[in-house]
Amino acid sequence: MSLNLYGKKLNSRLLIGSALYPSPEIMKQAILASGSQVVTLSLKRQNPSEQSGQKIWQYVQGIIAEVGGHLLPNTAGCKTAKEAVTLAKMSREIFQTSWIKLEVIGDDYNLQPDPIELLNATEQLIKDGFKVLPYCTDDLVLCQRLYDLGCEVIMPWASPIGTGKGLMNPYNLETIRLRLPQATLILDAGIGKPSDACLALEMGYDAVLLNSAVALADNPVLMAKAFAQALQAGEQGYMAGIMAQRQTAHPSTPTLDTPFWHQNS
Amino acid sequence: MKIHINGTVYTINGENQANITYALALHFEQPQQSTFAVALNGDFIGKDDYQGTSLTHGDSIDILQPIQGG
Repeated sequence: MSLNLYGKKLNSRLLIGSALYPSPEIMKQAILASGSQVVTLSLKRQNPSEQSGQKIWQYVQGIIAEVGGHLLPNTAGCKTAKEAVTLAKMSREIFQTSWIKLEVIGDDYNLQPDPIELLNATEQLIKDGFKVLPYCTDDLVLCQRLYDLGCEVIMPWASPIGTGKGLMNPYNLETIRLRLPQATLILDAGIGKPSDACLALEMGYDAVLLNSAVALADNPVLMAKAFAQALQAGEQGYMAGIMAQRQTAHPSTPTLDTPFWHQNS
Repeated sequence: MKIHINGTVYTINGENQANITYALALHFEQPQQSTFAVALNGDFIGKDDYQGTSLTHGDSIDILQPIQGG
């Protein structure tokens, strides 16, 4: 089954970041191993004499071309709707895409999104023609509001960015899935290990977005492969229909004709 | 007059020529070979508007370039 992001059909359910890798070559190999067709980038001030951004941009362009993928620029570092809207417009001009991973941070300690500024920025950007992929907390009502504004894709966090703590509040995430069946849900941030991604897909989430879990692994390329396999397992598990939990034990082996059955009683 | 480009202060003489294109020439040796986007005082300025956007004393220009991101 393919993933549909604002009308784009993708073969992978993994969106992957381009930061924190030991080297550009390892980044490339990890992205290729992951099978991802969506790579995130950002914009920052840079020393004009170094042209490091130019090199990274050209490198990522090559990867995107190789996998037939798409760029997903983010608004990392923004703390107000105005900053995020401006950065989104700058990104659209450079990257030539209306997709934007909308981040508006409300707290420096845990990098928690600011829901008020996020909604404000989302409304402005959608009116301006952007396809918004908002990074948000696992708050059902916030996700509903984002969906009502026109976000076809919503990206609640698993846990704070870069922590690797996995799914902090599975109940909240399951409730969002249950209440927003039409939304494309991507679990974003805090994923630490392949089983976290598998669990998200088993819940019915459509995809995951991660960076640190692969880039900071001892072997990023091997970890990227592990995530690809975990996502496939999670998707197939969800599609197969997971059995209902039961409160009491039920023997798997038939009890009829059990040998030595109560022979001493 | 003085303007800020990515936080660095520049003093400009001959204010009549001070527009975004002029600021880019201060920042880059070869702007045409770089990938960037511009904001003036926190508002996006599209490429088509560089020439026609005049600068005034105290203006703050952000010139941003692609970088790795998550």
